[in-house]
Amino acid sequence: MSKVVGIDLGTTNSLVAFVGREGPFVIRDGSGDALLPSVVSVDAGDVVYVGREAQRRLLTDPNRSVYSVKRFMGRGAGDVAAEAGHFPFALGGSGSGVVRIGLGGREFTPPEISAFILRELKRRAEAYFAGQGEFDPEVDRAVITVPAYFNDAQRTATRDAGRIAGLEVLRIINEPTAASLAYGLDRRRTGVIAVYDFGGGTFDISILRVEDGVFQVLSTNGDTHLGGDDIDRLLVGMVVSEAGLGEAADAARLQAIRQAVIQAKWDLSERDETEIVVADPGPAAPGGWLFRRRLGRDEFERLVRPVVDRTLGPCRLALADAGLEASAIDEVVLVGGSTRIPLVRRLVQEMFGRPPHDDLNPDEVVALGAAIQAHIMVSGSRDMLLLDVTPLSLGIETMGGAMSKIILRNSTIPASGTEMFTTFVDNQTAVDIHVLQGERELVADNRSLARFKLRGIPPMPAGLPRIQVRFQIDANGILSVSARELRTSVEQTIEVKPSYGLTDEEVERMLLESFEHAETDVEARFLIEARNEAETVLRATEKSLRNPDLEAAKADLAPGELAAIESALADLRSSMGSPDRAVIEAKTKALNDVTLHLAEVMMNRGVRAALTGRSVDGV
Amino acid sequence: MSTEARTLALQSCRHCGAGAPVDVHFCPQCERILTLARHGDYFIFFGLPRKLTIDLEDLERRFRSLSRQFHPDYFYTASAAERIASLERASYLNDAYRVLKQPLDRAEYLLKVEGLPGVGRHQDASELPAGVLEEVFALNEELDEVRAAREAGVPAEQVQARLEAARRPVEERAARQEAQLEALFQRWDKQVDEEAPPDVRRATLESLRGLLQERSYIANLIAATDRERGEA
Repeated sequence: MSKVVGIDLGTTNSLVAFVGREGPFVIRDGSGDALLPSVVSVDAGDVVYVGREAQRRLLTDPNRSVYSVKRFMGRGAGDVAAEAGHFPFALGGSGSGVVRIGLGGREFTPPEISAFILRELKRRAEAYFAGQGEFDPEVDRAVITVPAYFNDAQRTATRDAGRIAGLEVLRIINEPTAASLAYGLDRRRTGVIAVYDFGGGTFDISILRVEDGVFQVLSTNGDTHLGGDDIDRLLVGMVVSEAGLGEAADAARLQAIRQAVIQAKWDLSERDETEIVVADPGPAAPGGWLFRRRLGRDEFERLVRPVVDRTLGPCRLALADAGLEASAIDEVVLVGGSTRIPLVRRLVQEMFGRPPHDDLNPDEVVALGAAIQAHIMVSGSRDMLLLDVTPLSLGIETMGGAMSKIILRNSTIPASGTEMFTTFVDNQTAVDIHVLQGERELVADNRSLARFKLRGIPPMPAGLPRIQVRFQIDANGILSVSARELRTSVEQTIEVKPSYGLTDEEVERMLLESFEHAETDVEARFLIEARNEAETVLRATEKSLRNPDLEAAKADLAPGELAAIESALADLRSSMGSPDRAVIEAKTKALNDVTLHLAEVMMNRGVRAALTGRSVDGV
Repeated sequence: MSTEARTLALQSCRHCGAGAPVDVHFCPQCERILTLARHGDYFIFFGLPRKLTIDLEDLERRFRSLSRQFHPDYFYTASAAERIASLERASYLNDAYRVLKQPLDRAEYLLKVEGLPGVGRHQDASELPAGVLEEVFALNEELDEVRAAREAGVPAEQVQARLEAARRPVEERAARQEAQLEALFQRWDKQVDEEAPPDVRRATLESLRGLLQERSYIANLIAATDRERGEA
């Protein structure tokens, strides 16, 4: 039988997971990576790259490489105009239409870009199943996660992405809820859980009650434009201004800076001080440093505190909507890469008055939960059940530009609501309905979801027809609408014009077009794998060289050993762009060999440091 | 009412054609989930008597148990008709749970299924009893004066103090209404248990409706005072 997987389609990284005989696990690629960078790049020959190779191409071909596409899912071109300047790729599209992303000579919608990522995950999973000798390794169905605070348009765009990638999307589930499923496997079965999910581009907080295996979401809140990206952007801004780059900060340099500050951010989750090191990608100074600077954790925390503070307001609102005090929370679960930041952990602990759980890898827990949900749906197992809510109220435009709410936020889904309409003039046969999502009083302050035209109303005097419009939010949090005239029982035709979405025809066409795209051939894939391997070794070496313990470790190294490492490092880095796989592999091996002793020294120092803290008896 | 409705076989299974009582969710013959064509009301759906006092823990237990029976997650591999039935039943369950959980929503819903007109949100003040009406006028007048005073530059503390004073009798009335509501809930439940005559029960519902109208009016007034306080 074909396989059903769970997919975490993230802003920064994406993952695919599966429930096997031994339980849920994340499927890794050939070089052991669980995370697929959510980056897509198209070269001059129209070949599409996804993942780490695309991430590298951010430096060499920044205008043809897209990252953080999740930020643009389900949004209109007008919405993103203000953000466009932050990204090296071209964002366009006509005013009220869906965003278009220009890559070389072609334009893509965000669901098409996301579909490239999904297809790569599908391929990764299929390769894994084939390697396991499965009779039918095909992956044709998936549960895909979205931020809890995603609106209808963003959810629909995610489902469209799945369809374009050739996947039947069994269910769209919310990331924090998925995480709670993964945690719920071996935890106490009753209690109230807060899931704090701070990812690359989005923030969610969900409050759940777990009882008898039912995971019931009481409330959810969040910000779909708040994440690690915002922290990175602050750090990039600091480097650009301190380096006095200004106009000289071209796309490639900005990417180099971005990657360097992300590395520094990661370092500061493990130690108190690090160095931001930016290698100049430009032709002017090959191999030279563009910028170097020490960064302490204190300074980092002062800089990013405003971003982290923005997560606390939604936490309070979620608690209020659940009708609970922070003290009523039994457990706090952390999800998302940004929760590795010590400042985030401290603030969450203060907010809920208890230390958060982090026993599962915060990068993987959402994908594991998605896999569990997929398993629930196809296996017939009824051990667990997710009852999620709709994050935003749904309503319609009434006279005077006000919004009238039909389904309130935090209603358990599926949910429905009905509204009666009538006509204003004699023999009127159509009525316009504007559907909105949001909490504000005025139409203009809420999200426009769609405009419907009710047609086929039997001609009658004004005010006589009684048209019942039924709004149905399904278990995916996605809306559908039906209508009937009650006097005549005539079903109305509804023309749906999604405000910021794709029509079914467009999705079908994109699915067909996606088959025409050049795929990287086998030899190209081997080359990419060699580069991935090289990068892993490069990163590990660079990290050791930036480690503050290195100074003390020098005593244990042979004279000239460090110089040899630096030279092998530079050698490998300069050949990363080589089209010859053998060259990259040879230089990777050379660097690996020359660093073996350093790795051993550093590891021994680490062990000794850990042991000196204990009593002799204990050892 | 509910007792009669319950004994009638009002649903029929679209799959095998068997008849089913209105308060069951699965066909007694072929065990498939029933299409939500004819159903009773939220009370019947939950298997509860049409009473106003509800044990919330019991309601939640029933909600979880019914969710486990209907949820669309468990019907992914079923036929299209069963998938639709599951979606409809799960939606109806969630809507019913939301309404029954809140005492005021529950009371308004009872009025609706008992055939009384709805409780308007912005109803005509003339429907209110004279005593309430006087209080409402007095408070509205005071609010206008306070607003004028604030705009004329009267110090914030004085404005606040006047608002506090104006608010007190309204809050006392709100508290009395809560107690009256509680008493009416109990009266209704007792009449259901005793199978009181329809006109007696109807009178209770009329009182309940009047009280809910009053309550919503007073709640609006309190909200208006709060807004004014925020401005001051």
